[in-house]
Amino acid sequence: MAKPKLAFFKFTSCAGCLLSVLNLEDHLLDIVGAVDIVHFLMARRETQPGPYDVAFIEGAVSTPHEVEQLKEIRRQSKVLVALGNCAVTGGVPSMKNFAGSEREMEERVYSETWDIKSIPVRGLDYYVKVDEYLRGCSIDLNELVVLLKSLLLGVSPRFRPHSVCNECKLKENVCLLISKGKACMGSVSAAGCGALCPSLNRPCEGCRGPSNDANAEALAYTFVSDLGLSPEEVRRKFQKYAGNTPAFRKGAEAL
Amino acid sequence: MEIYVLPKQEMGGFVAGLAARYEVLGPVAKEEEFVFAPVSSAAELRLDYDTTILPPHKKYFLPPMETLFTFDGRASGREVEPAVGERVLFGVHACDVNGLLSLDQVFLGSYPDPYYRARRASTAIIGLNCTEPCENGFCSSFNTGPGMDRGYDLALTDIGEAFLVEVGSERGKELAKGLAPASDEHLIAKNRALRAAQQMITRRIDTEGLAQLLHENVEHAEWEELAEICLSCGSCTNVCPTCFCFGVKDYVELDLTTGTRPREWDSCQFYEFSRVAMDHVFRPGRPARIKQRMYHKLTYFQQQFDAPGCVGCGRCVTYCIVDIDPVEIVENIQENPNPGKEVHLYTPPPRRECPDTSPWKPLPAVIKGIKKQTADTTTYTLAFQDPKVQEAYTYQPGVFNMVSLFGLGEAPISISSSADTRGSFDHTIRAVGNVTNALEKCQVGDVIGIRGPYGRGWPVEEMEGKNVLLIAGGIGLAPLRPVIKHIQARRDRYGSLEILYGARTPADMLFTDEFDEWRAIPDTKLYLTVDRADPADCWQFNVGVVTTLCDLMAAVPENTVVVTCGPDIMMKFVVKTLLGRGFSPEQIFVSLERRMSCGIKKCGNCQIGPVFVCQDGPVFRYSDVQDLPEEIL
Repeated sequence: MAKPKLAFFKFTSCAGCLLSVLNLEDHLLDIVGAVDIVHFLMARRETQPGPYDVAFIEGAVSTPHEVEQLKEIRRQSKVLVALGNCAVTGGVPSMKNFAGSEREMEERVYSETWDIKSIPVRGLDYYVKVDEYLRGCSIDLNELVVLLKSLLLGVSPRFRPHSVCNECKLKENVCLLISKGKACMGSVSAAGCGALCPSLNRPCEGCRGPSNDANAEALAYTFVSDLGLSPEEVRRKFQKYAGNTPAFRKGAEAL
Repeated sequence: MEIYVLPKQEMGGFVAGLAARYEVLGPVAKEEEFVFAPVSSAAELRLDYDTTILPPHKKYFLPPMETLFTFDGRASGREVEPAVGERVLFGVHACDVNGLLSLDQVFLGSYPDPYYRARRASTAIIGLNCTEPCENGFCSSFNTGPGMDRGYDLALTDIGEAFLVEVGSERGKELAKGLAPASDEHLIAKNRALRAAQQMITRRIDTEGLAQLLHENVEHAEWEELAEICLSCGSCTNVCPTCFCFGVKDYVELDLTTGTRPREWDSCQFYEFSRVAMDHVFRPGRPARIKQRMYHKLTYFQQQFDAPGCVGCGRCVTYCIVDIDPVEIVENIQENPNPGKEVHLYTPPPRRECPDTSPWKPLPAVIKGIKKQTADTTTYTLAFQDPKVQEAYTYQPGVFNMVSLFGLGEAPISISSSADTRGSFDHTIRAVGNVTNALEKCQVGDVIGIRGPYGRGWPVEEMEGKNVLLIAGGIGLAPLRPVIKHIQARRDRYGSLEILYGARTPADMLFTDEFDEWRAIPDTKLYLTVDRADPADCWQFNVGVVTTLCDLMAAVPENTVVVTCGPDIMMKFVVKTLLGRGFSPEQIFVSLERRMSCGIKKCGNCQIGPVFVCQDGPVFRYSDVQDLPEEIL
């Protein structure tokens, strides 16, 4: 059997997820042995055209050009993977969706705007079918390896986006919200990170987007009533990483 | 049993003595809270702890993630022996000792779990009665605290200058060696301390008639209100001393052949807890999920395992961000009941004998034959590699096996061959999930793993002397095929047989090459229908849902047993149609599908209300399950 052809692309994002793919030192050589990476500009200049067995796209879609590029990659690829939170939900760049009109945003950032054509920032599945999602800012490398192995096996990895609280409790971390009054979003945010931030005494910021059937409104009320956050602070928390998602939009608009 | 006294200044020596012989696990501080952890001296112990984040017995006997198997092929797995030496759980509160006794019912009852059993057997329990109740506990409601009366090897009680030490077992006697016998005054001091503690507990659930009350208040507004605030985070189940649900998932190495099969805690509070292949979720609503937890704690567990499901430890309250509190919930319902329809308390069928072998180990079975049924459905004829195993392998029509492919997982699949078959058995499988898709790539001669048979099948004995109405939809014909074969082989014992079979299209029909044979069985009619047919199909039978065939059948309620299997929505309408035609719920049998990770009443995934589909079913008499607190169809 021929080795599957993998391609990595980048849209509107910080390149952190692609960089972390290169950090897969422990596994990289084995993986390179099992697959053919034919397009990965950060790693090497030579590229091959499609079709691809698996395309990974980091970054959100923020320009008409990216929309066209995305549709073309989709057309060329058997499996499309949203690599990281920006590609999954729009991520950090999507904050601009809630800050003002496209025109205002363009003028705030660029001195000359005649060549800037921006559209509201979206995740990939706003435009095309996405087969697999690797959540997080940045992605969890273990999940990437699990996904690669699943793709090689021809099965779904069946990631389970339940709450960060779940993984946090299994580690017997002292609850940051209940015991320390910190505005931790772990109860409504998707896990898979191993409760990384709360384990280091930092509240969860929801960088993997909402957990399944997340009740963000209830947490928004709790932030205000129990922790004394202002409605504006709550809104910003839910719009930081996944404001585009229905669940976090409800949290942002709850107050 | 003997009673001793351990002066507090001698605690250091006592713990050091234990630590020299055993791994000692006790309560230690973690920031402002407490957890159980290995300790080497009494100085580390915090016997003044109120509660711990995870219950100690669950943490150590049913760890959050535990590897069951390592494997190096789809059918070659090796059970992992739990690597535990002799241990002591030191300072376990009464609530958790009782939680442990409840978990024992799950894991040491029928199909004893070898992993749990090994850890349990090598660990001594030194209990600690609570003389100062914790903030959120309500243990006295269930007589599961503040003092313990069983389940311990030694039980300590703080009586001021010393601990009273009660011996609860032979192992405890060994542990207590060298301690001074207690006097009557010591015993009086203990009783006084526990009575005082009992009086300090103000939180209480009135359990009088509670199960019945909850069953009647399934539609109470309280549940919708709770769903508004519940975050579905699952912390309550993780910290619960009696919650035991888990999932099983395979992890492979990059060679895609070797890997591990662990079990990991799961929670009924998660949306995907009840998800099966094709992303069908059986319990999608948050109110239903909250009810499942509360009812399981306060009534189902008792019904299922004859042991308390809530021991009043208060952890689910302590670790709930939005302060959901069973004490308040029960109070609200008791003060303001809003009874809906009458719901009866389900009694599970009695436990059956089970083999003494490991219930988890799939046995290698060879694929002897492959027969394509439809584009996505295939019948596999299998035989255990070991002829002795195959010879001893018998089953009832309607039961299932767990089909295992190490690296991909396990799936519950009903047996589709006649139960009279010797030398082999069949599975008819639709390729819709990771395991079933991989099976589709298998070839004759390949070896896969099988464990089973599990569950209760069709009532073929009760059916004797009666007419049989068999109604199947789609893949639902597979578990009913053994019934047809059974009647065919004993034709004189049954009345007329009518088979109503529907599929989406003619191309989706299973066992079409056997239809003529079935029609040829004396006093047997076969009625076929499809949801839709193209002219090119040359379909000459009925078009419409399967219930439209009821107009063609001769079956009447008198002296008839109905057996039906198919998608939930189909069975729902079959039952409705039949009840409308005067059939009684007692004469209808349905076969249910749910997510299953074990097949042996351990993983909890397949529960519908108090019912375990895997062991109480999958075949149920409709009247037994029609008015459960949770809808079955």
